[in-house]
Amino acid sequence: MSGLVLKDVSKSFATKLAVDKVSFTLKKPGVYGLLGTNGAGKTTTIRMLLGIISRDSGEITWNGQEVDRKTVNFGYLPEERGVYPKVKIIDQLRYFAELKGMDKIAAEDSIHSWAKRLKVTEYLNLAAEKLSKGNQQKIQFMTAVIHNPDLIVLDEPFSGLDPVNTEILKNIIIDLVKKNKYIIMSAHQMPTIEEFCSDILILNRGKTVLQGNLQTIKSHYPANRLLIETDTDITKFLKNFTIENSHDFKYLIKIKTESSAHQLLRDVVSEGININKFEIMKPTLNDIFIEKVGAKHE
Amino acid sequence: MNNLKDTIIVAKFTMRDMISRKSFRTSTLIILVLIVIGFNIPNLINHFSNSDGNTILLVDRDNIFAGTLEGINEISNSDYHTEFSSDDDTTIKEKIKNGDVNSAFIIEKTTTNPKIRYIVKNTATISEPPQVIIDQLNTLYTSVQLAKLGLTEKQLASVTPNFDFQIEQAESEVVGGNIGIMMILSLVLFFAVYFCTLQVSSSITTEKTSKIIETLVTSTNPRAIILGKTIGIGIIGLLQMTLFVITAIISAHNFLNPEILNTLLDLSNFTPYLAIIATIYFILGFFIYAFAYALVGATVSKPEDIQAANMPVAFITMAGFYLAYFTLMEPTSSIANFVALLPISSPFCMPLRVMMGIASSGEVVLSVIILLVSCALIAHIAIKIYSNAILNYGNQLGIRSLFKLYKEK
Repeated sequence: MSGLVLKDVSKSFATKLAVDKVSFTLKKPGVYGLLGTNGAGKTTTIRMLLGIISRDSGEITWNGQEVDRKTVNFGYLPEERGVYPKVKIIDQLRYFAELKGMDKIAAEDSIHSWAKRLKVTEYLNLAAEKLSKGNQQKIQFMTAVIHNPDLIVLDEPFSGLDPVNTEILKNIIIDLVKKNKYIIMSAHQMPTIEEFCSDILILNRGKTVLQGNLQTIKSHYPANRLLIETDTDITKFLKNFTIENSHDFKYLIKIKTESSAHQLLRDVVSEGININKFEIMKPTLNDIFIEKVGAKHE
Repeated sequence: MNNLKDTIIVAKFTMRDMISRKSFRTSTLIILVLIVIGFNIPNLINHFSNSDGNTILLVDRDNIFAGTLEGINEISNSDYHTEFSSDDDTTIKEKIKNGDVNSAFIIEKTTTNPKIRYIVKNTATISEPPQVIIDQLNTLYTSVQLAKLGLTEKQLASVTPNFDFQIEQAESEVVGGNIGIMMILSLVLFFAVYFCTLQVSSSITTEKTSKIIETLVTSTNPRAIILGKTIGIGIIGLLQMTLFVITAIISAHNFLNPEILNTLLDLSNFTPYLAIIATIYFILGFFIYAFAYALVGATVSKPEDIQAANMPVAFITMAGFYLAYFTLMEPTSSIANFVALLPISSPFCMPLRVMMGIASSGEVVLSVIILLVSCALIAHIAIKIYSNAILNYGNQLGIRSLFKLYKEK
């Protein structure tokens, strides 16, 4: 089978089952979202996938072959950020590029191209310890992609980045997908996952609690919110609803059924009140995540 | 092939990293300056002490030595220079206080044996007169007294001891060589091992501390990392030690007394064969301890734990060195033969035994094989533990945990 396949992968530490029979597949290029609370088993799954730690059972294959450095050209941005503090950025980038099999000229070209893209050219001749954490993170991202890998594993790629750098990184990830890269992304920011991932897997205490195509998952969830904007106060119509947020005659309310929202619309219109916006909303990934993990995590 | 290429890449990066560190460059420079200063200490002492050397006044107002003291100027094989004087005590003490002379022997007549007073500036630092002067005075006094008996030259010669000393050994094995050069060789290796190989463990632990380890182990395999680091640090350590030795040799030639230098650095026994043997043992000795420190580095992840973790290896290094050192006192004993094969001590003593001419080729080959096997074994264990303990960010691993990690796939 082509692509990446994880089948019934498990790992225990002493008596604690960290990952329990996790399975997922990346058949075509794109971004696969790996979600879960802290300690859910995301990083352990990634580490097993990359061979950093051994698995107790299960199979991990790339194009039908056991995953290792020889069978797949992969790049990895670990959750634990690390650089050589005393070494010049360009020297450490060259080092990792050469270890990944690049020759000196190709490595040099790639370093300067990525540095320009990530706006870190001016830091290449500085020791890593002189860079901000955000810039160090961009350097680590360069280490993950400098050798043009087929499979890229990004563990919390946006944590610690400011909005400008987050935007730069998002655009790069979009480009990588266009270049047919397989990307596994672990993140806590649900809007980011929704933005990038076609397929997701949610882990809780090492077990898979939800997985599949994100749109399909969301389609199975009924609408649960209504956003309504008017030009006057409509609070008297909302006695049977839970108001999540309201300001300047904009109301975000919880609904149990879509018909209850339609009834509210009829009631308000019949009173001659102008409606500026009326939107029945499906649950967000955040809602689904909290529903699946939140209560169990408590 | 890839493993070799990666090992070379890791070694080159490690070397560049070490050289670029300000702490490494500063400590190297400080040691070089200390070496130069160290070889200048005798000159500095002479400069600040009496420029004429250690001058001793000999005072014989009662003419007990019948004028023979005036013939003594230099005492052979010593730093003492003697002058004859008939000054009174006050003048002599004034000269000593002013630093014109260092001390004085005042010989006085009594009813029985002559009395000798030894005058020094301060008795806090000098409690006994120099034995070489006492011996000289005893010999002269005996000659003067014998002369008074009216003995002939021949009779005088027969009672004056002039023994022909010769040393012979009971054992059949002939031990030769220059102890000075032997000890220097052994000491250089000891210091190279003691100061340079420590860097291997700290380099490995630093990578865990800086969290770069995950990126590194997904870029190459643990074998290339351990071997590359050890070789890289080894080469820099050996180059640093070579720089120290060259500086020491240049300093010795320029600042040491040529007589002492020639005795200490007599290279007449240093054959090309011995040079090859010394190099092989130096490199193998360096690497066996470097791999041991790599093993230690793999078991810790916090810089504050390194020192405690390094202790056992440091202890073994010292044990190996002292075993070699003490068995040199009895180089042909069976314990010395055993120590020469033991991998922790053979690098310190086998080149010396070869220089002494008491190590057979068979023993040398056996000892090199034992060292090579030990190096490979320790490197294998270090790589295995390193591979399985990469993500140990907690406390130092105990023996039981290490055993478990070693058994893991």
